Amino acid sequence: MGADTIALKVGRYRPEHAPEPYFDEFHVPRTDDMVVLDALNHIKDHLDGSLAYRWSCRMGVCGSCGMMVNGEPRLTCSTFLRDFDSGPIVVEPLRYFPVIRDLVVDMTDFMEKLKSVKPWIIGEEPPIDEGEHLQTPDQLEVYKQFSMCINCMLCFSACPVYGQDPEFLGPAVIALAHRYNLDSRDRGRAERARILELDNGIWDCTFVGECTVVCPKDVDPAAAIQRSKVSTATHMLRAVLPFGGRE
Amino acid sequence: MRTEAPRRYPVYVPKVPTTWWVRTAPFRRFAAREFTAVFAAAFSAILLLFLLALSRGQEAYEGFLRWLRLPAVIVVSSVIFVALLYHAVTWFRLTAHIQVVRLGGNVVPRRAVVGALLGTWVVVSSLVVYLLVWF
Repeated sequence: MGADTIALKVGRYRPEHAPEPYFDEFHVPRTDDMVVLDALNHIKDHLDGSLAYRWSCRMGVCGSCGMMVNGEPRLTCSTFLRDFDSGPIVVEPLRYFPVIRDLVVDMTDFMEKLKSVKPWIIGEEPPIDEGEHLQTPDQLEVYKQFSMCINCMLCFSACPVYGQDPEFLGPAVIALAHRYNLDSRDRGRAERARILELDNGIWDCTFVGECTVVCPKDVDPAAAIQRSKVSTATHMLRAVLPFGGRE
Repeated sequence: MRTEAPRRYPVYVPKVPTTWWVRTAPFRRFAAREFTAVFAAAFSAILLLFLLALSRGQEAYEGFLRWLRLPAVIVVSSVIFVALLYHAVTWFRLTAHIQVVRLGGNVVPRRAVVGALLGTWVVVSSLVVYLLVWF
């Protein structure tokens, strides 16, 4: 392939130089196998070493390189330059998150929320030191899809509810809470319910559905949230109805 | 939930424009789905008025029917009908994302669930129309 180049408009935020974010335009060589992250690496290596962004695995697993590419939340390691006819490709930090520097956002809010729903197995019976806990393939299948989340936060940037109300628990967090609620080894539903059913929990979701569209791992957070609503409502009904029965 | 601890570094907090919902086609479709709920409420109100008229005797009932036949009311009803069709179809399509249907250990594909829901809806609606028109 010949010397093809493409322009990138890269969002910059350098509070010591300018109080507001701005764009820098760079021209990078393009080959068929290059992704947006390669272009950013080219900029950092050859054009402007001060550019700040997160990345690690380069293979769609670590979830570090999520950014807005032409207004869409994307993993930049999986977004090929060849899919853009002409530039400039606009690369910005993930939407709705506070920006620390250039393309790096503050993940504190996400991490705190994730921790709050206790995304780990709670209350295994009998205790794990008394032996392993077996699980059938069918029991695994129930939650497996929701366990594929890589915490890339693209779904948060796709969610207008989170954009309007940063207090909202958010798609990935609810999907992971639901994943553990569905796990046959877990007994933590009641503990998680305290967070999920709060004002900013599952009931704030209006089912826009864009979280599912942008998810690079087909987790389908929108489905997880709606199923979480159904499951919570069923539990509430069972608790108040005399013939509801208990689990 | 957002941590209130002061940051040790400056951040830029982007503002969300109030017109976010017109930005992309999926957002516009979402807004349309939510807005058509207003028409569902309007239809419920008409239904309640109908029941009220019915409870007040034959004269009130016939008066209500005459009101329903006014050209302006027919136009409004037609708009409500189209909006409700859109509202119903979009929610039937979403239902397949919410409810997982298992048959004999296998998960029924979403298209099949949506097809079954829409099919049942059309059959039941046709039956109601048949009963109303021919009986």
